[in-house]
Amino acid sequence: MVYQDTLQLSDHGKGAYEITDLVADFIKESSIRIGTCQLFIHSSSASLLIGDIADDATKNETAAFMAQLAPSSDNVDNKINDSMDAIPEDMRYALAQASLSIPVSNGKPAIGVWQGIFLWERSTDAEERKLTITVVGE
Amino acid sequence: MYSLCGQGVIMALPTVFGVDPKILHGHFVTMVHQQQLRFSTRGRGTFDISQQVDEVIHNSGIKQGICQIFVHHTSASLILCENADPAVRTDLETFMKKIVPDGDSMFQHTDEGPDDMPAHIRTVLTQSSLSIPVDGGRDTLGTWQGIYLWEHRTHPHQRKITVTVMGE
Repeated sequence: MVYQDTLQLSDHGKGAYEITDLVADFIKESSIRIGTCQLFIHSSSASLLIGDIADDATKNETAAFMAQLAPSSDNVDNKINDSMDAIPEDMRYALAQASLSIPVSNGKPAIGVWQGIFLWERSTDAEERKLTITVVGE
Repeated sequence: MYSLCGQGVIMALPTVFGVDPKILHGHFVTMVHQQQLRFSTRGRGTFDISQQVDEVIHNSGIKQGICQIFVHHTSASLILCENADPAVRTDLETFMKKIVPDGDSMFQHTDEGPDDMPAHIRTVLTQSSLSIPVDGGRDTLGTWQGIYLWEHRTHPHQRKITVTVMGE
C-alpha cells in the first residue's frame, strides 16, 4: 500500500523546526503498520535532518557550524565574483538532505529515543514549504 | 496548513492542502520484511556491515525491490564508501577531524566530552538512512561499494540498525 500527501508548512524564518509529531500522525493516518516513510522537501533553501532532541544547544550549534563551514555571503568578497552570493546557500543545501527515509514499525516511526525529525529553514524570512510524505508498506 | 513556531513546536493542527491524502495503487501488492541489527562498536571508526545487510535481504525472500537501512542514533551514521583500500576510510576520518575538531571552543553541548557535539555534526553531515536497490535477491552494490556504520563517539557503543526490505 502507498499513502502519500503534500503538506504545506509555514515557518518563521531561519531555524530548525521539529516535525516528528506531524510525521507520526501522518503514519498513523496511513494505517500502514510496517514499511518505510519518505519525506521530501520541495525547496533548495530548506532541508530535512535527523537531529538530537536531548539538548536544544545541539541544533543551534549544528546551524552555527554550518554557518562557519559555508559562511554567509556577507563575509565574501563579492568583487571577486557576484555569483558567490548564491554559493553559501547552495553549499549548505548540498551538505544537508532534501529527502529523508525512516522505517515504520507497529504503525509508528521507528526512530531512536533521542532522534527528532527537523525542517531546517535557512531563509531569513518566514516561508511556506511544501513537504511530500510517502508511506509505503502494509 | 501546518504552522511551525520558533521553538520548534507545531502551533496549529492541519487544515487541508490541495487534495485529500491519496491511497495510490490500492492493488499494489508488496512484501515487507523488517529486521533489527545490533552492533558493538569499538569507538570512533567505520565498520563494514554490507554482509549483515545482504543476509537480511537474503532472509526476506524478496527478489526485487528496495532495502532501507536506518541507524537509531544521533552520534553514529551510515555511509556508502569505497571498500578496497582501508586508507580511504582513514582519510575520511582525518577529513572529518579537520572540519569538525573535537573540543572546538564554539561548542557548548559538551556534557559527554569533547567528542559529543562533533559526533552530532558528523551525523548530520553523513546519513542516518540509506536506500539501495535489491535485484536477484541480493543488494546491487557496486564492486567497490561497501555499507559502513560510522561510529563518531570515541568510546565503544551499542548501536541499533533497522533494515527494511520491500518488494516482491
